[in-house]
Amino acid sequence: MTLFGSDLTPYIALILVGFLPSEIWRWMALVVGRGLDENSEILIWVRAVATATLAAVVAKLAFFPAGALATLPLGWRIGAFVAGVAVYWIGRRSVLFGVLAAELVIVGGAMWLGLR
Amino acid sequence: MDPERALSPPLTQGAYYRRGLRAAVALPAVILAATFIGIGSVCADYGMPLAWAVLATVLIWAGPAHLILVGGLGSGASWLAIALTVGLSSVRLLPMVVSLLPYLRLQNRHPVMAIVCAHLVAISIWVESLRLLPQIDGEGRVPFFLGLGTGLLASATTATVVGYGLAGIIPHAFAAGLLFLTPIFFLLSLFATARVLSDQLAIGFGFFGLLLGALAGDGLELLYAGLGGGTLAYGLARLKRARDAA
Repeated sequence: MTLFGSDLTPYIALILVGFLPSEIWRWMALVVGRGLDENSEILIWVRAVATATLAAVVAKLAFFPAGALATLPLGWRIGAFVAGVAVYWIGRRSVLFGVLAAELVIVGGAMWLGLR
Repeated sequence: MDPERALSPPLTQGAYYRRGLRAAVALPAVILAATFIGIGSVCADYGMPLAWAVLATVLIWAGPAHLILVGGLGSGASWLAIALTVGLSSVRLLPMVVSLLPYLRLQNRHPVMAIVCAHLVAISIWVESLRLLPQIDGEGRVPFFLGLGTGLLASATTATVVGYGLAGIIPHAFAAGLLFLTPIFFLLSLFATARVLSDQLAIGFGFFGLLLGALAGDGLELLYAGLGGGTLAYGLARLKRARDAA
């Protein structure tokens, strides 16, 4: 593929369709967000929207996954969420233990099923 | 100001920067690095040059957008379609930056500093900043944030190179594990940072809202779940506040 050779095309693509469509939201935030108070109603709403979007991204990455994760059946991915959240609450709100528990289910599940 | 703090000499901007750098050497940096090992290897799989993969990490600085761009270019999708999907996946950066701005105290800083700070905002630093910035003195927040951001960026860049080199070597099960790190880490981080009812409701509405929104099949599910779910969470929390006050 010449597109990914030593020419500049992938770099131009990176700027035009990767960097700019993403960065524009950061710039717009600077325009809209100037002079907002930490405890204003609008900011409580904005934080709720940011939190909900992030939770949505989490669900998207796990339930509509890319690459190797997509080969692991849905049940295992749901099981990993359940294990992670359960250990997080039982383990006195430890993010580390929660992450480890979920990873154990994913990596263990993929090995158990012999995925490759 | 408490007497103990008044007695100790004020920290320099450099000292705040180093504190931020140290704060970056924690669980989020490990998770972020593991995530970018995955992203680096995906870039190699699609035949992108290493310099491109590194530049994409630094310039885009948002995992989902990065993956969408590589996948789109690799599968020969049209640039317009890629740009739209990347743009949609990054809408979340707007409310994230807006909600972080008041904590940064940028009023007396150069406008370029605001642009640099805004660029550094991504999921991991947003979660960490909301948690750590309130404990930092006002004048130290920008250098602290820069330290945290550049620290995370450095570990992600290194990880991109490592992942690029490891492409094809990582066992399948671990590759799957790397890709699940971001979802589980951010979900638990959201639990850890959500202090008010509106944020707590927003986690559930966003998560399940995405599954509901995906049924529409128009590719706008992030927008529905984020904007719709977040607004619903805010509205319900506000109703409860009003009722409690009455």
